[in-house]
Amino acid sequence: MRVELALFASLRRYLPDGGDGHEQTIDLPDGTTVGQVISMLGLPDEPRVVFVNGRHAHDEQPLHDGDRLAVFPPVAGG
Amino acid sequence: MKKIVRVDMSDLSVKTEPLPEKWSRYGGRALTDAIVFSEVPPAADPLGPENKLVFAPGILGGTTAPNGGRLSAGAKSPLTGGIKESNSGGQAAHALAKLGIAALVIEGAPADKDARYLIKIASDGSVSLERVDEWAGAGNYAVADGIKQKMGDVKRYATITIGPAGEMGMKMAGIAVSDPDGYPNRFCGRGGLGAVMGSKGVKAIVIVDEGLPTVEHADRDAFNAAVKKFAAALREHAVTGQGLPTYGTNILANIINEAGGYPTRNFSSGRFELVENISGEKQREVTLERGGNVKHGCHTGCVIQCSRYWVDKDGSYLTKGPEYESVWSLGADCGIGDLDDVAALDRACGDIGIDTIETGVMLGVYMESGRLAFGDGKGALRLLEEEVRKGTDLGRILGDGAEATGKAFGVKRIPVVKHQGLPAYDPRPIQGIGVTYATSPMGADHTAGYSITANVLNVGGSVDPLKPDGQAELSKGLQIATGMLDSMGLCIFVAFAVLDIPAAFDAIFEMATAHTGQKWDADALMELGKETLAMERLYNEAVGFKAEDDRLPRFFYEEKLPPHEAVFSVPESDLDAVFDFVPETAAKMGISKPGA
Repeated sequence: MRVELALFASLRRYLPDGGDGHEQTIDLPDGTTVGQVISMLGLPDEPRVVFVNGRHAHDEQPLHDGDRLAVFPPVAGG
Repeated sequence: MKKIVRVDMSDLSVKTEPLPEKWSRYGGRALTDAIVFSEVPPAADPLGPENKLVFAPGILGGTTAPNGGRLSAGAKSPLTGGIKESNSGGQAAHALAKLGIAALVIEGAPADKDARYLIKIASDGSVSLERVDEWAGAGNYAVADGIKQKMGDVKRYATITIGPAGEMGMKMAGIAVSDPDGYPNRFCGRGGLGAVMGSKGVKAIVIVDEGLPTVEHADRDAFNAAVKKFAAALREHAVTGQGLPTYGTNILANIINEAGGYPTRNFSSGRFELVENISGEKQREVTLERGGNVKHGCHTGCVIQCSRYWVDKDGSYLTKGPEYESVWSLGADCGIGDLDDVAALDRACGDIGIDTIETGVMLGVYMESGRLAFGDGKGALRLLEEEVRKGTDLGRILGDGAEATGKAFGVKRIPVVKHQGLPAYDPRPIQGIGVTYATSPMGADHTAGYSITANVLNVGGSVDPLKPDGQAELSKGLQIATGMLDSMGLCIFVAFAVLDIPAAFDAIFEMATAHTGQKWDADALMELGKETLAMERLYNEAVGFKAEDDRLPRFFYEEKLPPHEAVFSVPESDLDAVFDFVPETAAKMGISKPGA
């Protein structure tokens, strides 16, 4: 399955293609969970905010073909 | 002994009186509220002599409390018609506090409408007034230069100024406060308080604090220990210690867009396809490339350091930030996806002296009328410079904000509550902030109860933003806590750490106790927040606000917002329960309606 991955702020450098952008489409085995992708990317073991298709997601949540996975470090402002 | 300084613009007299005992535990928002509540008749014309403009540092103002230099400005608002507290960073609060001034109250109105005054508070506490008619119509940056020339060798002072919008009585006029470099770029933006200052004939206030020490404490050692504890928590928390200092407030653009709550083209979508171009990450990259400053405090004593300066393509200072709210309002809400366009609009707002949020919401509404294309940044700038700044017939309509503009040009979708434009979070997919917009005595104001914390950012817990459950409780708790922080004079960004680190909360009442010598604890802090809100609610009731005013505009209940196809669904009974504590709090305070 293909999943759109987006990493923001200080997490951008963990994007597999290593480019300047913050988004990349990746191929994954069916049923891969959010947590598995995060560990595959080697994200630091720190608090993060994770969305799948614009909704908060947990590590155990399985991904589906065409999903968008977005990961943020703790951020706030306003 | 703290004092209240009153400047009566009707006869140009100055009076100084001790802070009354009944207000000895008040500062900041609680004190501006108490003075407006007690002294401004609810029926007063906001731009008439009965209204009063109050400036107050917080309880911790003038101390080394981290992020403790926020300024509250209060009055009856010409925009909402209700009581208003508009809060700013900058140097003025510390300067007032160091002079022992708990509140500066500007009263009355001059007989000569063409007169412009500079109020000068010298470092010995003496207050003088000077005619500055030649500054009529000048922008905030020119006024700042004019003050600098007058000050000569005196280098340490803070300024409070208005641009032409305030002089013209426009309802979206704000009040500029100088930052540590002297730029007039910090704002009591919301609610039209710049127009109140203009109606008093006051163009500028300068407060000299050269050579003055920080204020004394009841228990210096205990105070310093609490300061250390508070600063450690702010540095430890990922948001206040890393995210905000690195990227500034506009770090939010991507995450709010991701959550589908980034209001785009006058609240017609929750995602902006050009968000990357105006994101905090992009802003940092461009600012660094051009040699701008990407990290400083907006006031002395700030340990978070979320402020930054935007420089133009030649590397010259143009404006602060721009901040998240301003990038959204002048950017996404207008379909503008270019940071230079946004920064030019931000600079124009700062110089003309208008609230960036209200201005962007107004522009979005005007664009929806078809008179200007969404995305036309140059056209928007021309409107501000050629119409609003000059006060043309069109400029005066636009200058009164989003609702006035929408009504004048037949726009159906007008995003306002209590006549004030909504900030940068759509309340349909982020329902907790909708409760705050609907119920806050301030009108639509995100800072009044920043539910984005638990709704989107997972700070201070987690409440599903798309469901109505738990939103009213969330907003209520945050509104009470915010009333307290605004009264302490603390920046509300400390809340990100306070919500997650218990020691940070304890440090607040420990600082208050050690500084004032009064007994403060967790309950007393919350009581202060409740008392603040009780005065505001009772004032607004006397003005005539009712339960139906605590609602969002109908379209938020009816028009589905992409991408989540969400509508606002928090029940009215939940909204009406947010201020259920007011009768009990008011009874304890011995108040029931505005007046002495």
